[in-house]
Amino acid sequence: MDRARRRFRPLPRDRREIEVEIDEEIAFHLEMRRRELIAQGLTPSEAWEEARRRFGDLETTREVCMKSDGRLERRRAWGESFADARRDLALALRNVRRRPAFSALAAGTLALGIGATTAVWSAVDHVLLRPLPYRDAEKVVTLRESDPVAGAPKQEVSPGNYHDWQRLAESFSAMALAEPSGFDLTDGATPETVAAWRVTEEWFTALGVEPLHGRGLVAEDYAVGPARPPAVVVISHRLWRSRYGGDPDLVGKTIEVDRQAATVVGVLPPGLDYPEPRDLWAPKTWRVSVRYDERADRGSSYMQAVARLAPDADVESARREMDHVAELLAAEYPATNAGVGVAVTPLREEIVGDVRPALVVLLGAVALVLAIAGANVAGLLLGRASERGRELAVRAALGASRARLARQALAEGLVLAVAGGAAGVAAAWAALRVVRTVAPPELPRLDALGLDGPVLAFAAGLTLAVALACSAAPALRPAPRGALRPGARAALGARTRGGSPLRRILVVAQVAVGLILLVGAGLLARSFLALTANDLGFEVERRAALQLFLWDLYPERGPRDQAAAAISERLAAVPGVREVAIVSALPFHPSQIDATDELGILGRPPRPGERRIVHTTIASPEYFPLAGIPLVEGRSLDDRDRTGAAAVAVINRTLARRFFPGEDPVGKRVTVGVMSAPVEREIVGVVGDVRPTAFDSDPRPELYVPFAQSGNGSLTFVVETAGDPTPLLPALRAGVWEVNPGQSIYHAAAVEDLVAATLAARRFHLLLVGCLSTAALALAMVGIYGLLSYLTRQRTAEIGVRMALGASRGSVASLVVGSGLRLAAAGVALGLAGALLVTRFLRPLLYRVEPADPSTFVQIGLLVIAVCALASYLPARRAAAADPVTALRAE
Amino acid sequence: MSEPTTQLLRGTLHVLILRVLSEGEAHGYEVATHLAERTERVFDLEDGALYQALHRMEARGWLVSEWGHADNGRRARFYRLTEEGHRRLELETASWLRYSRAVARVLLPPGEAPEPAGA
Repeated sequence: MDRARRRFRPLPRDRREIEVEIDEEIAFHLEMRRRELIAQGLTPSEAWEEARRRFGDLETTREVCMKSDGRLERRRAWGESFADARRDLALALRNVRRRPAFSALAAGTLALGIGATTAVWSAVDHVLLRPLPYRDAEKVVTLRESDPVAGAPKQEVSPGNYHDWQRLAESFSAMALAEPSGFDLTDGATPETVAAWRVTEEWFTALGVEPLHGRGLVAEDYAVGPARPPAVVVISHRLWRSRYGGDPDLVGKTIEVDRQAATVVGVLPPGLDYPEPRDLWAPKTWRVSVRYDERADRGSSYMQAVARLAPDADVESARREMDHVAELLAAEYPATNAGVGVAVTPLREEIVGDVRPALVVLLGAVALVLAIAGANVAGLLLGRASERGRELAVRAALGASRARLARQALAEGLVLAVAGGAAGVAAAWAALRVVRTVAPPELPRLDALGLDGPVLAFAAGLTLAVALACSAAPALRPAPRGALRPGARAALGARTRGGSPLRRILVVAQVAVGLILLVGAGLLARSFLALTANDLGFEVERRAALQLFLWDLYPERGPRDQAAAAISERLAAVPGVREVAIVSALPFHPSQIDATDELGILGRPPRPGERRIVHTTIASPEYFPLAGIPLVEGRSLDDRDRTGAAAVAVINRTLARRFFPGEDPVGKRVTVGVMSAPVEREIVGVVGDVRPTAFDSDPRPELYVPFAQSGNGSLTFVVETAGDPTPLLPALRAGVWEVNPGQSIYHAAAVEDLVAATLAARRFHLLLVGCLSTAALALAMVGIYGLLSYLTRQRTAEIGVRMALGASRGSVASLVVGSGLRLAAAGVALGLAGALLVTRFLRPLLYRVEPADPSTFVQIGLLVIAVCALASYLPARRAAAADPVTALRAE
Repeated sequence: MSEPTTQLLRGTLHVLILRVLSEGEAHGYEVATHLAERTERVFDLEDGALYQALHRMEARGWLVSEWGHADNGRRARFYRLTEEGHRRLELETASWLRYSRAVARVLLPPGEAPEPAGA
């Protein structure tokens, strides 16, 4: 059968075309049948009747066929667009592979933007957005005393106030305290010192913690005497995994805590970071003796309080009630509680409140980097599109529709963005691993940081958005019309030379955004320098500190003092140690025992409403010379100030200035309690100020009393060493244990490290913003370089003509650099204006630098101009090196 | 028609059409004529049912159709087996033979039954 002359049917058919074809097909059939029947001898009309009869119901067949064909056409249409997409992607892949350097640059740029944004988003998501790991966490609040001196909320609560809050407040269904503590785990081969909390009975109830295994702490756990290691403990998920190998049967077993048996009654789930990540929870037992009842102590604030709001209470109503409670207590105990408020803070605010501004700044910064990266790639693709003007013109002339060309551009953007996105996610994964190890430990919820489903979904969405955004410009670019006519090539060149305004705008925007980020980094750097330039008022290098609590082993004063003396002696005997001093509160120490008391001045009762609150510290005579705190007036503490001798005190300059303005405080008599009842003392000297807790903390009124006259058990042994103290720490610990192997060492570190730790968060912010802004600047450089290289290539002929007409190489080079600098200047102007608008958001992170600091703005502006000049220089040199003859031939 | 006719079993029509088209492309009328000749008009098959089957099979991807010119020069729609159609034919043939042999072994007296499949 010869059917060679068949035609292809265009696709897809619409409903009407389908109907016509079916009707034609059926008509053909009936006609053939009729002819056959006539040939068999039927009359034409009989034949027609018979053909119709044999066919059956015509309408049903038409409908069934219509339906089948409709289905077929829909399937074909799908297949067609799928095949189109595959063709577009294959072509895009080929184009991307054909220019590996260009593609690597574009994908790498996107990887940087997408990776940085994904990493920071992961942090924002995990730290700020995800629910806290506590039951009904929105019902949990922290309770703190507000500081009468500074006015700011204080971290800690005194036991006396806590018990009164518990008695008076009705807004809470549970309230509990935690006291920082530390134990040595002495079972097994390797003893380990762990940070712990001594908590009151409702701690886990108030926070809403369900143990993973076993139970929390219950009433009978508290029915033991004070001053001994705990009989029962609850341990952290981390400790359970690391020390006990995740033993599923650990609950009920005995471990050794401070060399005594303790039963593990519960294991907690991971991620419980409040008040800070620690490994052990034990019952809080109160120190009660004839002379001192810890439960009623309202002078020393050293505990963390949490509470769970009652079902009918909210944060506002609780605040109102606690304000009232604070007033009642102020009236009842004016000596300690006048002006002391209660700060009620939602738990989430307490945990993430401090890091929110930094994270929001970071998110803004990476969004800007991503914008630059996207603009850069859009610029690169635009440049490619105009370089490929002829190719595109040919394809348009061959019938490729504008939509087809736009789809092609999108496909290329998609291929580049997916490559960039994949590399970016890998980079983010690596970056987060680094961040988890270098980030300051006080950053909350860090252990949860990582790439998981929601974050990966974010990265995928981001990649698609970036693909769309950076291919929009080339896709929407009008198809070159008439570009193939004779002479049109020059016209095409002329148009892109004079025009391409979009690319110029993109480059200017990149420079502007890079400048904004750099200004931010500059302001943070200046803050950091200003901060670290602050004189701390005490010696930091070659000093180590060991914090010990002697109360448990030595409840009585006599043995306690002897133990302290013996420990000092042992520490002094460690090779490399020059001197040992004892102090109750070392500046910058993370677990500083921060005691305050009211200062009474003999013969000078306070004016109504006047509060003379001072910070009180216990120190041995060696402390001031060892810590490098200078004596300003009178004498320092010395060996005369022993037990039973006349009670004395030394004050700092700030106290002298505030409470003895214009007079000599030496010889004045005051009454003040130092973690005890008020005692009358004579001021014998004035010493220099120290910054108490951080580089930006201002000196506060401080009063020191001799250790020999107070006999405290919460002590920090400060050690001066001949060299680096860190290697000596094990020997120092061993020295303590020589006196009593059961003595737990709460904290041991080089003082330098304690000081550095307070800068960790700032250093971290500076590092992150510094890296991001450097990346932004590098991207802007790539942008300028790419645009100028492209423009220079476009102008090859013009440059050839100029040089043929006698233009010097220098003038050609300056032509190119000049056009780069014009772009840079526009970007810098725009960026400075933008920086003025946005740097105010940095204010919480700045120190002694205004957000609009003029010298930072000027310096960064000049830096950016210089870098842009550098980026323009390479294309300029290439243009100047061109041979005029070759350049002319290029046309 | 004078001869007794039989209802075609469901699904059998498809395999018959596939068989006819496996010998080369054909338009609907040709398929109808071939079927009638081969089956010796045993089945009571309306022509409309044949067209319904052809279009269904095309939608399933077993056949493709193209317009061409019949021997008498008229425009006609020609059907041809796809790869999938060929595979389908093999499958259905094998399964139908298994079926009919099994039925025949039960219905026919012993000795007259055909050999088991594959023998």
